[in-house]
Amino acid sequence: MDIPRLLIVCSTLAFLGGVVHAMVALRAGQWRENRWHLVPMAAGFIFQSVFLYLRGQQHGRCPLTNHFEAFIFIGWCIVLLYFLVGATYRLSLLGVFTAPLIAFLQIVSLIRAGTWDLMTDPKGPVTIAGELHKTVALIAYAAFALACITGVMFLLQDRLLKKRRINALFHQLPPINDLSKAIVRMVFFGVVLLSLAMSTTFSINKPITSGKMLAAWIVLALYIIIALLMWRRSLSARQTAWLAVLGFLVPLLSMWFVTGKI
Amino acid sequence: MLLCLGVNHRTTPLELRERLAFAETKLPEAAQQIKSLPGFEESVVISTCNRVEIYGAHRNEKSEDSFNALRTHLAEHFALEPAQREALTSYHLSESDAARHLFRVVSGLDSMVLGETEIFGQVKVAYDSALKAGATGRDLNKLFQRAFNVGKLVRNETTIQRGSTSVGSVAVELAEKIFGDLRECRVLLIGAGEMSRACAQSLLSRGAKSIFISNRSHDRAVELAKEMKGEALLFDQWEKAVHDVDIVISSTSAPHFVVTPDLIEPVMHRRRGHPLFIIDIAVPRDVDPAINDISDVYLYDVDALQAIADEGRRERERALVKCEEIIEEQLRKFGYAEDSPPAPAVLTHLPSQTLNIEH
Repeated sequence: MDIPRLLIVCSTLAFLGGVVHAMVALRAGQWRENRWHLVPMAAGFIFQSVFLYLRGQQHGRCPLTNHFEAFIFIGWCIVLLYFLVGATYRLSLLGVFTAPLIAFLQIVSLIRAGTWDLMTDPKGPVTIAGELHKTVALIAYAAFALACITGVMFLLQDRLLKKRRINALFHQLPPINDLSKAIVRMVFFGVVLLSLAMSTTFSINKPITSGKMLAAWIVLALYIIIALLMWRRSLSARQTAWLAVLGFLVPLLSMWFVTGKI
Repeated sequence: MLLCLGVNHRTTPLELRERLAFAETKLPEAAQQIKSLPGFEESVVISTCNRVEIYGAHRNEKSEDSFNALRTHLAEHFALEPAQREALTSYHLSESDAARHLFRVVSGLDSMVLGETEIFGQVKVAYDSALKAGATGRDLNKLFQRAFNVGKLVRNETTIQRGSTSVGSVAVELAEKIFGDLRECRVLLIGAGEMSRACAQSLLSRGAKSIFISNRSHDRAVELAKEMKGEALLFDQWEKAVHDVDIVISSTSAPHFVVTPDLIEPVMHRRRGHPLFIIDIAVPRDVDPAINDISDVYLYDVDALQAIADEGRRERERALVKCEEIIEEQLRKFGYAEDSPPAPAVLTHLPSQTLNIEH
C-alpha cells in the first residue's frame, strides 16, 4: 500500500475506533466526558495533517487538486473546527457524531481514488486567488457539515426530551438551547466564508468552469436563505435543526462535482 | 489505631442529632478537645444535618477504653439529660471498618439520598478545620487524603451520582438540559401547592433569574412571592405572563385543563424558537397533553417526573455494587488485609452510669 493511502487508512481507523469505543461506552452507561476521548480524533487529525503536508510538498501548492485530496481536506477542516467549536461551546459528544461523517468521507474517497489521484501531480499555474478560493470554500463546507452534525444532535436531544427518555445519551448530549445557538453560528460562519471564497472567483485569471461555478453559487444562495431565516428567527428551533441537516445534503451532493480536478 | 464513633439519620432521631451537632465554627475546638482526651493523638469531627462523627487515632491498648472516653466526653460536652442518654444510640468502628465507613461516607453511599455530593464538601471542611487546628497527624491525614481520592474515584468510575432522585431535582435537571444556564430563566408558578413550590425553589436555588406567582387566593400568592423574593400576579393575569417566562409550573385545583394548545401556540410563535418548559404538578392535570406536540415545548406531568426520579434512584442502587468493590479495593491498597470482611457496626447507648453532669 502506498504511503498516502496508508495514512488515510490509519486516520479512518482512528476515527472509527473512537466511534466504536464511544458507542460501546454509551450503551453500557459508562461514557464519561474526559480528554481521553480526544485521542482518536487527535490521532486521525495527525494522520490527515501528515497526508496533506506530504501532498502539498509533492505538488508545491495547496493539496486540493482532485476529489481524493478535497475530501480529506474537508475532513481535516471538520476536525479542526470540532476542536475549536467543541471546546468553546462545551458540546460534549460532538466528536462522536463528527467522526462517522469523516470516516464516511474518507472511505468513499479511498474507494474512488485512482492511481492518478494518488500519484500524479497537477499541471497548470498556481494563483493566489485560486488557492484561496478552494481553501476557504472547503472550510465553509466543513462549517456546514458541523452545523449538520449539531442539528442531528439537537434532533436527538429534542426527541429524548419529548419522549421523556432519560437515558445515558440524554445525560451526555448538550442542552438543546446550546445546540440551537451552535447551529446558527456555524451556518453564519460558513456563509461568511463561502461568500469570501466566491468573491475571489472574480479575480481568478483562469475561470472556473461554469457548471462548478453554478453549483457553488447555488450552495451559497441556499445557505444565505437558511441564514436569513435563522436571523429573522421565523422558524422553531426544531425547524432550524432540520434545515441545517437537510440543507447539508446540497453541498454534500455537489461536493463530488465541485471538487473535481480543479 | 483508628476509630470512629458516630450517630446518623439511621441510628438517631433528628431531635437528638441536633442536640449533638457542632457548629462549623466550633469544629476546630471540638477536634482539639478530643485530641486532648487520654490516649488520643489525632481527631477530626464531622457534623452535618444527618450525622455527627468523630474520627480519632489513639494509642490505648483497648479500643473500648477510647470509645468510653469519647462517649463520656460527648455526654458531658452536650450536657445530655439521662433520658436523652438512654435514647441515644451510637455506632463505633475500629481500624478497617472505620476507614471503610469514612470511604462510604465521602462517596455518598451512607447518605440519606444515595450518591449525593454535598457530603464530600462537608467532610473536606471538617478535615480542613481539624488540620488547621493541629488536631490531625500522620494517620488521619493519610486516611482522609485517601478517602477524598476514593470519593472522586467512585464518582468518576460509576453512575452513583447520575440522574436525579427527587421531583424537584428532576425538574432542575430537565430545565438545564433545555436551557443550559438557568440564570436567564424566568419561572411562572400557577397555583401554590407544596410540590410546585419545592420545584420552584429548586430552580431558584440553581440560579433561575426570577419568579412570578399567581394563585386564586392573591394573599397566598403575595405571601409566597415575599418568601421566594418573586412577584405576585392576580390570577387573571398569568396568561399574559406566559409570554415572558421560560418555565411554567402549574398546580391549580381546577377540574379541567387550564393551559391549552390555543394559549401556547401563539406564545410559541412569538418566542421565535426559544423553548418553553412546562411542569404540570396538578392532579387532575392542568395542562393539555397535546401541548407536548408543539415544537420547542417540553411538557412533564407529575407522573413523568416521579418516574424519572424513581429511575434515577434505581440507577444509583445498581451502581452501588461497583462502588463497594472500588472501596474494598482501595481499602486493600490502603493496607488493610484482603480478607477483612466489613464488620457490623457496634451500636451502643451512652453510658449513663459513667456520667457525672453538673447542671
